Amino acid sequence: MRQSNIGWLFLAPATLILFVVGFLPFIYILYVGFFDWNTNAVDPTLRWAGLQNYRSLVFDTTFLNSLARTLVFAFFVVISELLLGYILARALMADRLWGRQFFRTIHTLPIVVAPIAVGATWRLLCVPGFGIVPYYLKLWFGIDYNISTNAYHAFGTAIIMDLWHWTPFVTLSLMAGLTALPKEPLEQAQIDGGNKLQIFWYVIVPMLKPVLLTTVFIRLMDALRSVDEIWMLTKGGPAEATRFIGLHIWINVFPKTDYGYGAAMSLLTLYVTIVLSWLLFVAMTGRKGGAQ
Amino acid sequence: MMAGIQPNKADRDGFLPIRTNGFDRGFISVVILILVHLLWMRFLEGLLPLWVATVLCLALAVFIIRKG
Repeated sequence: MRQSNIGWLFLAPATLILFVVGFLPFIYILYVGFFDWNTNAVDPTLRWAGLQNYRSLVFDTTFLNSLARTLVFAFFVVISELLLGYILARALMADRLWGRQFFRTIHTLPIVVAPIAVGATWRLLCVPGFGIVPYYLKLWFGIDYNISTNAYHAFGTAIIMDLWHWTPFVTLSLMAGLTALPKEPLEQAQIDGGNKLQIFWYVIVPMLKPVLLTTVFIRLMDALRSVDEIWMLTKGGPAEATRFIGLHIWINVFPKTDYGYGAAMSLLTLYVTIVLSWLLFVAMTGRKGGAQ
Repeated sequence: MMAGIQPNKADRDGFLPIRTNGFDRGFISVVILILVHLLWMRFLEGLLPLWVATVLCLALAVFIIRKG
């Protein structure tokens, strides 16, 4: 058997699984997006709607606001997790840190907690009149913290909860990347008189780019589809302050059973995710052309 | 380490601000097509029908794929 045929044979199971669980549902969603289909309607069958779902979407302020809110959430979450993750990675790699192995172990614990349990825990921590966070914020700082009535408090808490849950993942990825970096360029830069900031920006960041890119992709895509944590924490409220796009789609598809419109929203969200990821990829790999 | 995301020999310089291969140019065309159709439905469909956007985007796609 030729070498390439053996390669394809090894790839076949993974390709088949990806085709069944990735490509076929995508085609189905694409198909459903062109129909008006609500199983609770008078006529529960699929009725051809053409581009009507998309036409409604571009005028749907609830959807557009959800999308914008999700992008703001993703921006804050990804940037904060990268910064915190890098600081933690450097701290946990420092030889001087006492109990380093112990901290390395416990700091990864949030990753293994299911998102729904994270949401429930943070809800218990933050619920007004019961949780310890509002109690101590009032006691120490006089802050009337209430995620059930204050939109900013709810949005901020959603961000902090996500940071608590996923920063360890970024830390682990960056630690793996930093450990794998060759020592010679760093020593060379030190000998040449580069200060810490210069070494970080001109040596470490370029060498760490593939790891940074992968981490940002994973976290960006995760942040754009946050549902269960937010649902447990605030149920999208107060009003619609934390109704992120994943939650908005879920509400339309399951309680309202509006499958056609839900499919259109899902596809538009996928479009935004793909375009953002591609722009990020182009920006970070610096594929500059002759036109610049 | 960076080999996986470096531009390869199939990439070329066109009028686009980045080096692109055939897939990139096709992808950019589809992204623009979807974006223009959504914006057209939001702001211009009352004045001009949607097929005008389709024709314009297909012409632009051909231009991007050949010269981008």
